[in-house]
Amino acid sequence: MNQESFNPFSMAQLQFDHVADILDLDKAVRDLLRNPMREYAFNIPVRMDDGSVNIFRGFRVQHNDARGPCKGGIRFHPLETMDTVRALSMWMTWKCAVVDIPLGGGKGGVIADPHNLSAREQEQLCRGWVRQLARNIGPISDIPAPDVMTSAQHMLWMLDEYEAIHGGKMPGFITGKPVGMGGSLGRTEATGFGVIYTVREALKQLSIRPEDTVASVQGFGNVAQYAIRLYTQIGGTVICVSCWNQNDQTSYSFRKKEGIDLDALLDITDRFGEIDKAKAKELGYEILPGEAWIEQEVDIPLPAALENQISAETVVNINPRVRAIVEAANGPTTPDADKVIAERNIFLIPDFLANAGGVTCSYFEQVQSNMNYYWEKDEVLGKLDVKMTSAFIAVSELAQKRNLHMRDAAYVIAVGRVAQACRDRGWV
Amino acid sequence: MSKTKVHMAVERPGPFNRNFFDSDEVITCIGSGSIGGKASGLAFIKDILVSRFGEHPIPGISVGIPRLVVLATDVFDRFIERNNLNKVALSGRSDDFIAHEFCRAELPAEIVGDLRSLISGTRTPLAVRSSSLLEDAMYEPFAGVYGTKMIPNNQHDIDTRFKRLIEAVKFVYASTYFKAARDYIVITGRNIEDEKMAVIIQEVAGNRYGDRFYPDIAGVARSHNFYSFGHAAPEDGVVDLALGLGKTIVDGGLVWSYSPAYPRANPPVSSARELMKVTQTDFWTINMGRPPEHDPVKETEYLIKASLTEAEYDGTLKQTASTYRPQSDRVVMGTGAEGPRVITFAPILIGNLLPLNDLLKDLLKICEEAVGSEVEIEFAVTIESRGSLTARFGFLQVRPMVVSHDQVELSPDEMIGDNVLAASEKVLGNGINKTIRDIVYVDPDKFNAKHTPQIAEELAQINKRMVEQGRPYLLIGFGRWGSSDPWLGTPVEWGQISGAGVIIEATLPDMNVELSQGSHFFHNITSFQICYFSVHYTGVYSIDWDWLKKQKELTRTEFVRHVTLEKTLTVKVDGRRRRGVILK
Repeated sequence: MNQESFNPFSMAQLQFDHVADILDLDKAVRDLLRNPMREYAFNIPVRMDDGSVNIFRGFRVQHNDARGPCKGGIRFHPLETMDTVRALSMWMTWKCAVVDIPLGGGKGGVIADPHNLSAREQEQLCRGWVRQLARNIGPISDIPAPDVMTSAQHMLWMLDEYEAIHGGKMPGFITGKPVGMGGSLGRTEATGFGVIYTVREALKQLSIRPEDTVASVQGFGNVAQYAIRLYTQIGGTVICVSCWNQNDQTSYSFRKKEGIDLDALLDITDRFGEIDKAKAKELGYEILPGEAWIEQEVDIPLPAALENQISAETVVNINPRVRAIVEAANGPTTPDADKVIAERNIFLIPDFLANAGGVTCSYFEQVQSNMNYYWEKDEVLGKLDVKMTSAFIAVSELAQKRNLHMRDAAYVIAVGRVAQACRDRGWV
Repeated sequence: MSKTKVHMAVERPGPFNRNFFDSDEVITCIGSGSIGGKASGLAFIKDILVSRFGEHPIPGISVGIPRLVVLATDVFDRFIERNNLNKVALSGRSDDFIAHEFCRAELPAEIVGDLRSLISGTRTPLAVRSSSLLEDAMYEPFAGVYGTKMIPNNQHDIDTRFKRLIEAVKFVYASTYFKAARDYIVITGRNIEDEKMAVIIQEVAGNRYGDRFYPDIAGVARSHNFYSFGHAAPEDGVVDLALGLGKTIVDGGLVWSYSPAYPRANPPVSSARELMKVTQTDFWTINMGRPPEHDPVKETEYLIKASLTEAEYDGTLKQTASTYRPQSDRVVMGTGAEGPRVITFAPILIGNLLPLNDLLKDLLKICEEAVGSEVEIEFAVTIESRGSLTARFGFLQVRPMVVSHDQVELSPDEMIGDNVLAASEKVLGNGINKTIRDIVYVDPDKFNAKHTPQIAEELAQINKRMVEQGRPYLLIGFGRWGSSDPWLGTPVEWGQISGAGVIIEATLPDMNVELSQGSHFFHNITSFQICYFSVHYTGVYSIDWDWLKKQKELTRTEFVRHVTLEKTLTVKVDGRRRRGVILK
């Protein structure tokens, strides 16, 4: 599919409209939820290392906060658009609602490529972003977090700027901070592990032993890495991963039919999740085109990169062996591809359920930060597992009960909860 | 000596369901590895109990297994591997250090959610106990070797309950590598690295009384008894009963011991007043009150000892106690009269308030038939209604006993003579042993009860060496081995004397106490088929100290002498008559 013609916000609205019909929502509720409550777009001037000044474009969208303060990441991406941020903020609302945590949805972004920025320039960008929004975000209104190409270090710079502006220590302003600096143990693993908690439950439902399954993963960032870690620990085998190659400006798939060695691959991977092609070859990996990950003869394709990866064009390449698709990334499947997946009776764990582990743990981090009292990792992951598993079971039970597809069932639960919160507050 | 080995064919429990406590399941399992010895025993007996007592219930007593979840050995493997604990585990460091390091480690991410769900579903106190792989593989009991932790699980907050549970699980994991366990494994000829631990998380049978939670009766019943006295034969078996948690029995404390064939017979004591000295004066309970000081590496963190006064207040003596009447020097059944209470279980065993003894005889028979060998069962009885007396019988464990079947005939004539080193008519064990050439003994000329803690240390050093060299030895000392009171004997842990092949406990004029007859280490002694002699200095049979003095000394410490012989000793024990002799 042509990336430029794809509008994630249109897709998000389309999905919402479909669920609004199922729920028979009235016009006011539809109008309220179809668009974000608030949007901020602004310039961020940054003096570069060479003395010049670059103006970066930044965004923050607060889709809905009826159930609690907005929560959502900040992305640094050269192809960032307001519509992408809008869509992602809406998905955040549904994501928080489907796992039943008391937060609303938000998202932020900057049109920037950190690959081309020094650490100092990135720091200035972070601080500039916060300066523009300091009055509109905070621990009781909107709590940012890391996302695509932002890290714990970025969060710490942002926290520092926020605290400098407001005067005081407010670790609950932002999540994804380093452990020991207001971060939560388990946060790094949370999204990837959360994905696999839902995979584990899905396999139970499909009566398949994890040991008998094989997976192919798109992406090799934080989410993919920890998903692969836990998936292999419960017995599964990953035979293919793909990732972006900055030099070649394209992506590659790395395949080893007997199963990849996660630790060996991590040793030759940079902080952006890019695997060294030459070294991978030395380790015996086949280097295939980026889109090859989806064609593999596996039980579980697991998109864990960017949105719009399983489209009408690519869905036909999905191998007949596939039993379940697990959307670890946000919005990886387009609505027309969704239909094909449903027709082929492939079990699907929708994105905002599968990858809700991240925001769930962010919520735990915020609770801990507000208390300034931090839990042990067992406790964090134990709570995470229970939340994720309960959410999965609720969605799959509704899907069976009302004969809905998993995505629709998840939306029905999430949108229903948010709509009810809006009604309860007297907004509609 | 030949051992009876049995195998119990076990159907694996179903996988853990997060609604476990809302279901009818009794045993369920997290993980896919082995469930270990204890859990296998329970899984094995579960259906037999249902078919026997479901169809023909015993009036007044409902029999069942308290619900349990087993963490299989693969969870243990993953815990050790992912936290790189192998090095710590095999470091030989102190128990506290190992426990501390294990408590800092993280449980596998894929099972913590199950544990959290488990703890969310129950507020009953839980016992977290070991169920070892080697125990299962060897068909031998490893009773008391590994740690058990009881947690009150009554905190309002799920987070706190969850934390206490995972601390307990990690403690039990750590106990796999504690000194006592390491020594035990060496003795069995196994390698500690082969050991894997499943963990049982089980509801504790009992009732809450204020800040205390305990069963009215805890017990161990064995279908074979080398301690038999009076008319009882070894095949009649033996039952040990205690008020409160079973820890009193496992630790070798004072308990009520009787033969199921003669439930009315008192222990062999000279007077009613004497009876008070050999019965329970305190009991273990789970602390349901103010949280204790946080100490996850302490096995008894949530346990408290209570006195009989507290039991009287709780109303739990009515069915378990008698009363001493000093005026007549008699013990009368029940608590109707004023006077010191004596835990005799007479209202149940003699007054037949509950058909407990009939049930135990029945269970021992059923279990023997099912297992195919002599058995030992552990249980807890909770009285539910004290009006028309009804009770719950919690079946906690069944395991095969290791019993030697060698026929040994020993006449009194053989027990006296110049070639006799020691002899006794109070001997535990059976068979002939000709493997011992080393003797480790406490020097009677230097012995003083105030030095028993130091003696224990000195013995531990020698024992360590002997274990490493694989040389079983004859151990001779004074007072009760393993006594918790240093004035009554040497306060050793089993690990400190674990290399002994034959043990003598003797008395001296200055250490003239009622001997333990092996009760502190009963499980170890029977498992390893150790011959245990009790020798009274005023008795017909004695120890040839002069001969010992002349033997070649290998090492000596302040109080202990280690001599080695040119040829091996011959140890003969006639288990049926409880006679034994050690020939030079």
